Amino acid sequence: MTSRLLMTLQVVVPPPQKLGAVPQGTRVIAPITGGTFEGPRLRGKVLPGGGDWTLLRSDGVLELDLRITLETDDGASIGMSSFGIRHGPPEVLAALARGESVDPARYYFRTAPRFETSAPPYAFLNRLIAIASGDRRPGGPIYTIEEIL
Amino acid sequence: MPDSENEGPRPPSGVRRRDVLKAAVAPVLAGATWAVKGGETVMNSRPLMTVRITAAPPQKLGTVPHGTRTVVPVTGGDFEGPRLRGKILPGGGDWLLLRSDDVLELDLRITLETDDQALVYMTFQGLRHGPPDAIAALGRGEVVDPARYYFRTLPRFETSTEKYAFLNRIVAVGVGEARPDGAVHRIDEIL
Repeated sequence: MTSRLLMTLQVVVPPPQKLGAVPQGTRVIAPITGGTFEGPRLRGKVLPGGGDWTLLRSDGVLELDLRITLETDDGASIGMSSFGIRHGPPEVLAALARGESVDPARYYFRTAPRFETSAPPYAFLNRLIAIASGDRRPGGPIYTIEEIL
Repeated sequence: MPDSENEGPRPPSGVRRRDVLKAAVAPVLAGATWAVKGGETVMNSRPLMTVRITAAPPQKLGTVPHGTRTVVPVTGGDFEGPRLRGKILPGGGDWLLLRSDDVLELDLRITLETDDQALVYMTFQGLRHGPPDAIAALGRGEVVDPARYYFRTLPRFETSTEKYAFLNRIVAVGVGEARPDGAVHRIDEIL
């Protein structure tokens, strides 16, 4: 699969809202209060107000459903949403749950971000398919986002 | 991307090389599992399967609030990969939407039946766009080199069978090719 770096995105996540067992699984909502992104073609900050609506399924896979707004350093707004999957060995997931740092190679954390913007300099984002590799850190995840060529 | 019109803005000529380098190095610092070398990334993936879809004549619904809607019923097809193979059951479809920026959005739902009778529900969302002459040729039902247009999808799967449960746990990317008799998707599992 051919790709090139789109950006690295780090979001800041305060303590999550644990909704517990819902019909589809265990729901945890992680508000996103800020963050930064940087890549060869765009950079800026994450606006507060978004979040990640995570669902732990019965098969132990965590589904991620993120929606945030990016603001570039030249003032453009970009809507970003992503669907993702995270799973791994029980001891690794337990360490993550305790807020420890874990080598991201030890678990599977991949997402598929989509973007929308009205700003012409960034309209290329409306037209691409992307895949991200996630690294769950205690303060919030870091995503390396690749454009699929 | 295949055509220059789809390339994002090049960094302005002063783009500080330092920034580009910084961005290229960042993933390594972030501990990502993909190797980044000289700005190019080796995304780890492996072939999942090639899906060939046969379709009935499209239902052209025309202009709707979100764009131009065309529904393509799926009548059958087959799929084959190292870990699974079988046929596509009739009854699914692809709900296409041509947006105002000339990007075609795909929204497919089909059911796969493996050669050992497991059912796998497959959906994808995707994008297709390219130079006007290539898109026009596709519209006329001609064969066009898929390198001339961008046709990428994000397939997702659901199954209750243990043998194929790995499909429930992966992120995948498809590279599509539009042919006169249907579409062919080469799908890779992202590792």
